[in-house]
Amino acid sequence: MASIVEMPELVLEKVIGFSDFKAVLSLRQVCRDFRNFIDDLNDSKLPDSKFQEVKITSGDKRIEFELVDSDNFSNRILFSKAERSRRFYGNTEVFENSNIMDVAVRDLEMILKFQKTILKQLRFEISSSCQHYNDSSVNALPIKLSNMFKKLNRKIKTKVLIILADYPSEVMSIFDFVDPDTLKTLGFTLWGGYLETEIDEFVKTEHWKKADGMSSDFIVLNLNVEDICHFSSCSIRTNSITAQELDFLRKTYTSSSNYKNSSIHLRSFNEIEELGNLWDPTDFFDSESSWLFRMKNSDERILHIEIHEDHSAHSTRKIVDFVEIPSSWVSPEAIIHDYNGN
Amino acid sequence: MSSTEQGTSSAAPAEPTTAPESAAAPEVPESFYYVHGKDKVVHKVSAGALQHSALIHGMISNLGYTEEQAKANPFPFENIDGDILQMVVDWCNQHKGKPTPPEDTNLPKQKEKLFDLVLAVNYLEIKELLTYCCKQVAMMVKGKSPEEIREIWMIPTDAEDEAAEKEAKKRAGKEAAGETAAAAGDAK
Repeated sequence: MASIVEMPELVLEKVIGFSDFKAVLSLRQVCRDFRNFIDDLNDSKLPDSKFQEVKITSGDKRIEFELVDSDNFSNRILFSKAERSRRFYGNTEVFENSNIMDVAVRDLEMILKFQKTILKQLRFEISSSCQHYNDSSVNALPIKLSNMFKKLNRKIKTKVLIILADYPSEVMSIFDFVDPDTLKTLGFTLWGGYLETEIDEFVKTEHWKKADGMSSDFIVLNLNVEDICHFSSCSIRTNSITAQELDFLRKTYTSSSNYKNSSIHLRSFNEIEELGNLWDPTDFFDSESSWLFRMKNSDERILHIEIHEDHSAHSTRKIVDFVEIPSSWVSPEAIIHDYNGN
Repeated sequence: MSSTEQGTSSAAPAEPTTAPESAAAPEVPESFYYVHGKDKVVHKVSAGALQHSALIHGMISNLGYTEEQAKANPFPFENIDGDILQMVVDWCNQHKGKPTPPEDTNLPKQKEKLFDLVLAVNYLEIKELLTYCCKQVAMMVKGKSPEEIREIWMIPTDAEDEAAEKEAKKRAGKEAAGETAAAAGDAK
């Protein structure tokens, strides 16, 4: 009787082609011959793992991967640094002689080797309780991942990329292995809370340039509005902004064919009068002002701009909202300015 | 009505009954070839059915055998068991000149037969049947753990494999030692 291990390569390749991702991972563990055969196969011959979302959480004590599959089912793999263990579906495996982070990176490599579908979302949460940059091993994860992807010679394709990290440098090392071509939306959170951060490095990346939506919750130092005007949807915080800069954004947005909305949070805004001179002083009220501008390419769409105050427990800040709305929402008496300011 | 169906009916009786003069109907009667497996049981198969096998098709297309020559020279497939060859011949006859369906549920359910069939079909280069067989092999272990797969496919663990290998090496080593001893004896 014939045995499966003596089958010609073409046959095994076909069998693997008809197997799903989980079956191939099981086959890999059956014997050394299968493992070598599968590992040597070209990625194109492997089945698609079809994950929709990948969430990677890394802290002082543990690393967690959450993988949402095409049935919307969430698979979690937990790595404990103290126990040097991996936990998956109630099975715990201890790795006495390995760095658990290497085990985690290897597992992720194995999973992503099969991923062909573009992810809906890739989310990184990297945090460390000790804030000393040098002795935190947490930061090693993005770097180890970056090296792994370099070795694989590929990048993760995702539509949405969300990064929660301690430092901008971590964000940059994650950019290293994310394909900018499929990116639609970027989201950033820095744990330091309302830290002031320069984004010079970010804005130079293809990821920043190619995305059309961006939201960040830290305070951007030296914001250059030209760096954010290409986003059709944007939420950003900064210290202050000039009336000229707001007018530049207004002009860009009204000329854009796919503009949606933006929200700029300001610690202070002192140029409300200048803005009134530029746009229209009649719409100027005490703490809330709003303007309507016709979009350049459509009579159906109107850009609604509103400046209002937000009183939180600690401080008062000004919020400038630019929202594109259908013209049917606007009352007939409202004054609508032409896109060129008339 | 397809031309191949006409070909079949014309091959069995002596003369085709007054068939309508259709441009697609070939006048050439269908040729037959003969194959046998390990059990030497000879199967008569039409060239149309054998087209499924790229190997046999390649062999017969250059031969230009007459009916007598074909009968006198059956193709021997000594590496294929008789019952497996029967399965292959049956499949080829069933699917002669027909577009193959996306699924084939008539494949053997016993793994021993299925693996032998896969090897035969791979050797004979019957593309569609190989695809069905491989799919069936893959389905055997869908959703199974590595241990279960090992059991289903009767694969030894690496440790067992190594032990068997060591044993084989030892034996080979002993034989080699015996041979060199014998050779040394000869030299004396």
